[in-house]
Amino acid sequence: MNNILLLEDLPEIRAWLKSLVLQVFPTARIIECSRVQDALLQVQSVRFDLALCDLGLPDGSGTDVVAKLRDVQPEAQSVVVTIHDDDEHLFPALQAGAYGYILKEQSRELITEQLQRISQGEPPLSPSIARKVIKYFASMAKPQANAMPEVSLTDRESEVLLRVAKGFTLPEIGVQLGLSRHTIADYVKQIYRKLNVSSRAEAALEAQRLGLFRR
Amino acid sequence: MHPACPPRRPSPAAWPRLAGWWCWLLLCCAAVTLALPAQAQTMWLDRAQLVTEAPGQPPDWAGARSVALPHAWDSGQPDSRSAVRLYRLALPTPAFTSNPLFGLYVEQACSVLQVRLNGQLIHDGGRFEEPVTRNCHRPQLMAVPAALLRAHGNVLELRIRGYALAEVSSRQRVGGLSAVEFGPYDVMAAHHARRLVFAIRLPEVMSGALLLMGSFMFVMGWFHREQSYLAYFGALMVGWALLLARLWAADLPVDNQVTELALASLMAFITLAAVQFLMRYAGRRPQGLRIALPAQCLLMPLTLVVAGPGRLYTVSGVWFVLLAAQVLAAAVFYLAEARRQHSRQLWPMATLLGVVGLALLVEFTAQALRLDSRIGYVAQLVPALGFLLLGLRLVQQYGRAFQSAEQSRAELEVRIREATAQIERNFAQLSELKVEQVTDRERKRIAADLHDDLGAKLLTIVHTSDSERISTLAREALEEMRLSVRGLTGKPVKLIDALGDWRAEVVSRLNQSGVQGEWSAPSDEEVPQTLSSRAYVQTTRILREAVSNIIKHSGASQCSVRCMLADGDFQLVIQDNGKGIPTELDGRLDKGHGMASMKGRAKQLQGQCLVESSPGYGTVIRLTLPLERHTTMG
Repeated sequence: MNNILLLEDLPEIRAWLKSLVLQVFPTARIIECSRVQDALLQVQSVRFDLALCDLGLPDGSGTDVVAKLRDVQPEAQSVVVTIHDDDEHLFPALQAGAYGYILKEQSRELITEQLQRISQGEPPLSPSIARKVIKYFASMAKPQANAMPEVSLTDRESEVLLRVAKGFTLPEIGVQLGLSRHTIADYVKQIYRKLNVSSRAEAALEAQRLGLFRR
Repeated sequence: MHPACPPRRPSPAAWPRLAGWWCWLLLCCAAVTLALPAQAQTMWLDRAQLVTEAPGQPPDWAGARSVALPHAWDSGQPDSRSAVRLYRLALPTPAFTSNPLFGLYVEQACSVLQVRLNGQLIHDGGRFEEPVTRNCHRPQLMAVPAALLRAHGNVLELRIRGYALAEVSSRQRVGGLSAVEFGPYDVMAAHHARRLVFAIRLPEVMSGALLLMGSFMFVMGWFHREQSYLAYFGALMVGWALLLARLWAADLPVDNQVTELALASLMAFITLAAVQFLMRYAGRRPQGLRIALPAQCLLMPLTLVVAGPGRLYTVSGVWFVLLAAQVLAAAVFYLAEARRQHSRQLWPMATLLGVVGLALLVEFTAQALRLDSRIGYVAQLVPALGFLLLGLRLVQQYGRAFQSAEQSRAELEVRIREATAQIERNFAQLSELKVEQVTDRERKRIAADLHDDLGAKLLTIVHTSDSERISTLAREALEEMRLSVRGLTGKPVKLIDALGDWRAEVVSRLNQSGVQGEWSAPSDEEVPQTLSSRAYVQTTRILREAVSNIIKHSGASQCSVRCMLADGDFQLVIQDNGKGIPTELDGRLDKGHGMASMKGRAKQLQGQCLVESSPGYGTVIRLTLPLERHTTMG
């Protein structure tokens, strides 16, 4: 880990997060931002490995930074750090390309662990997010089945999502399906990736459609 | 749309035909009545001696001329100037002397008549000075007592004041005398009465009817400018009523010259009304006619005045031809237009116009060729009858149109009422929707504010407080706040989804704390119910509190959570193998463990929360919620 973007508007929390991140990645260089505009500028100039983005910021939503990062530096990992645990807030950020989310009020130990897991490729997935993802792909499947075959979920991925939605933890699902913890994590990562790709394709289609209408 | 084509019901189509039959019958009766043969007892006097009376001198019978009756003071004859003339007729002594009273019947004596028998005045028709009484069309009957008759050599003197053809506008009113009939009084009286009906009474009746109906239609058309043809037809009828008045109005306050001028000019007015009526009825409003026709009405009397009384007949004759041509052109135009528009009025109107035109032609021919006066009587009644018929028809059409307009107005009113009701309903729905929207927006705003302000502050406390207790409290407060917000904004939650959320939270928390968790719940198919967001939030709190207690206080190594559905109730049983909850001296469970608040929350949901605990045997918490109550609450 070299460069880590930390986007957070509350100074105390930013300081706290910074110390936490440094605890996990002692050698990392942390670039702190308190506004979306600053973060977008940084994304243009600095190469990041990890970005921790708050959602509700004074001049906009951290989702924009996540989306920008996905466009400009696809290999950078974005993680949403937020006070919101509801899918209404989280889902757009996940669609924009975030690989998971961390709730800010959790204890230092828990966040440290989650951060480590995410950086090792084990993003978290809550039942409500899983349900939303299932619904999203179900609605996508009908009209654009031919247009984007590569962004539909595989049976395994759907199975994992369904089990998460019922409240099983990822290790439990691994045991149930006879798969390693690592494989399950890969499925989750794939689900996040497809969510992002699918929503970008959807946006492109939408733009094309609007363009056709305008002409 | 053609103004004369209002929607009509099929049944009254027979109406004009019926009226036509009625008229035809009337005319036949008239013809039959008039054609009744005079009785053999009467005698006709058709030879006369004629002298022109010189003012202030006795009549010069020596210079008398013998003339045949009927005799008219036409041009080209010796006696062709306006004057007072005397006809002397020899009255043979009647053979039927048993009769005490005889009658002398003069069918036409134009314009005023005085009769002497053997020097005795037996009849005075009216004024001989201007304004001269106008009795041209009035059949006159005088009683002749038998006592006045001599045995032989009876002399009748008929004194007439009349006008030359040049000074009148119609051949009908040129001075002259018809043949004179003499016979028993009752026979003569019957004869006279029959004639009087057709010559005077019927024209009077027609005049009255036309005047009344014409005025009515004029007013009707005047107030409905869309139906202006009604007004013109009304004017036509009024004009025709005045024209008919020439037949029966005897004593006018103005002299002959003015009367004749007015009568001639009346034709211009009738032409105006007729032409405008036909144009408007055809749906046309030519701008030129609006000025040309009234101008003609002024121009005609002007030319007559300028030409002078001596050329009245000639000039008015020219005018009449001109006016007739105009009316004829308008009639042809109307018929062509009605044909083009496929109007239903084409044939009735064509028939009517044809009959009226034919009647006028017959009347004119009868006058010009001096045919039997009875033809003229019938012919001059036909146009008036036709106008009355057409008037009735127009009023009927107008009434029908008015009725249908009324009907559509009523329909429109109903539609407006319906539309208004619909708008009101929509408005009510919209208001409701608006209220919901506003409420929803307000909830979202409060939720956002709570997150941004309270949430941020609590979060700062969580991570900056030195005291672990304060951090924990603040974290719990934050979770509470989040749940409150969800309850504030939340939609109903499917029970199956809620079970998933609860399982994930409970199992991961227990695992993180090193407690072995066990979860059992009904399968997907068994739980189609939904929970209100309030029930979801409160149950989450109760569950969270219970798990926190187990982790913090019980020291348990195992915990099982069982969810069940029984008799419409949702039951949650949380059981651990810990040390149980210490009982206070008063026998109540420790309040520090939040049992009271758990029970309070359950009570809010009309459910109950039972806690069974004994030291060393763990704790069982049973939460029971009635599902029906909370499945639909928002």
